[in-house]
Amino acid sequence: MRPILSNSCAQAATAEEARFRIDRPIGGRAALVFALDDAAAAVVDRVAARPWSGARFVRATADTAIAEEVADADLAIMIATGDADGDVASTIARACMERGIMTAGLILGSRFEVAAAVSALRPYARNLMVTEDEDDVAEVLTALRA
Amino acid sequence: MLKTEVNELLTQTGPGTATGDLFRRYWLPLLLAEELPENDAPPVRVKILGERLIAFRDSEGRYGLIDEFCAHRGASLWFGRVEESGLRCAYHGWKYDVSGQCVEVPSEPENSNFCSKVKLTAYPVVKLGDILWTYMGEPENQPDVPEFEFAQVAPEQTYTSKRWQESNWLQALEGGIDSSHVSWLHSGGLKSDPLFKGAKGNEYNLNDLRPFFEVAEADGGLFVGARRNAEDGKYYWRITPWVMPAFTMVPPRGDHPLHGHFWVPIDDENCWVYTFDYHPTRPLTPEERQAMQEGHGVHSRNVPGTYRPEENKDVDYLMDREAQKRGETFSGVRGIAQQDASLQESMGPIVDRTKERLVSSDTGIIKARQKLRKAVEALRDEGITPPGVHPAHHRIRSAAIVLPQEESFIESCGEALAARPGVAHVSV
Repeated sequence: MRPILSNSCAQAATAEEARFRIDRPIGGRAALVFALDDAAAAVVDRVAARPWSGARFVRATADTAIAEEVADADLAIMIATGDADGDVASTIARACMERGIMTAGLILGSRFEVAAAVSALRPYARNLMVTEDEDDVAEVLTALRA
Repeated sequence: MLKTEVNELLTQTGPGTATGDLFRRYWLPLLLAEELPENDAPPVRVKILGERLIAFRDSEGRYGLIDEFCAHRGASLWFGRVEESGLRCAYHGWKYDVSGQCVEVPSEPENSNFCSKVKLTAYPVVKLGDILWTYMGEPENQPDVPEFEFAQVAPEQTYTSKRWQESNWLQALEGGIDSSHVSWLHSGGLKSDPLFKGAKGNEYNLNDLRPFFEVAEADGGLFVGARRNAEDGKYYWRITPWVMPAFTMVPPRGDHPLHGHFWVPIDDENCWVYTFDYHPTRPLTPEERQAMQEGHGVHSRNVPGTYRPEENKDVDYLMDREAQKRGETFSGVRGIAQQDASLQESMGPIVDRTKERLVSSDTGIIKARQKLRKAVEALRDEGITPPGVHPAHHRIRSAAIVLPQEESFIESCGEALAARPGVAHVSV
């Protein structure tokens, strides 16, 4: 069937036609941000002070009730530095896997200094970023509408 | 998601814009060398970074890139004649050399020096590999010429094509950084394309549709690693480099050539995509070169005599629903290049990033935007030279590799991700 209207073919990809795209509010997502060590917690505390759509921020330790924390989340982001606790990451990841929750990890520091943390998180974080820029934490959360 | 002001900041590249100033710190692909094939070849109209220019090759083989319009009455110099070491306007005969200097105004007396006071904007042009490159910034900031490996190997080892994409440069670039679409949109090509098929890596791609991603900083941009399960507790990694602002490489497959793209803004709603294939250690075979010329691999099949793909928006990209149903193509559009372009153009000329809904597998795109924004702001506010300008940042490669699970791609692949003249690429 040949298109007979300009908006029924690929030519409708103009700026003018973009005005007719349905404009519907986009909801945020229930993001849960775990700090895996003390240095990461300091960063997370600074980030948490900003306004967010509903993101929650938690200092995760071996004593944290991870299963309860992640119950309502649909995204878990682990923030770590070179001192990250791999066992806690593993606990978070297992809890997320059981509930179908996406996991991501941001490791702050030079990649040579955080190699151990990267190895600890790699099996568990479906998306991993190694960065020396603390701003990436807020940048990622903003981009994800957290 | 980006705020409106950041989206505008990163997508506007015309004169006087912050991202335009960033682009004007780099050598950029201007034309394929084949577009000015001999001395005194016909001039070529070029729009790049929102500036209308004319390129020509004079009687001595020097390349010129100058303002398209004659200083006299504003007529296009495209109608002009390239003769006797200059470009002469067809209207009243004013003549310019490759530096934009007017060298003759026929209506003036013979001993007049009026023409010495007339000069058009001009930018330097160099030929490297199959591409003519230009630098459009301030002369005092002009960097050394690029050292991308595809433009440095012998001519028989490399092939470059180009195509017009009807979208802003950034959404095209983002497609080059985003590995997560390959197992879906390009799944048909992995099985059948002569420049991809037969590689062991394809099996890993098609058997694991939920890759893990890892983003690592590089001096000139980023490395984005996509990892899939391989046998014996190992991971198959595909590593995509991005060199700022607009160069990406695709991870290779088997002994097929390496390939990648340059995404060059024409204006804010169009870009040129320069696409290259090269092999670091051997000439391309006749079959490979023919496949590239026919639009296989990451190249496009262009309308003869143009750089516009045959699968373009005017013809609904030659959508083939039967091929889609049979699984030959996932989207119904033929060819990797136009599978990407069709979807990126469908977003609109400048996608409204305030309305997107990114997921964490888009981390590479998120990080690339952040790096771009920071570089644009650092240049604008502090005059800091952006990453990717220095030729050392160009000496990189993509790679495809199987590694033990405990190894980090960025630490284990140092050599694999570096351009090493005469050394084969690392590929599975």
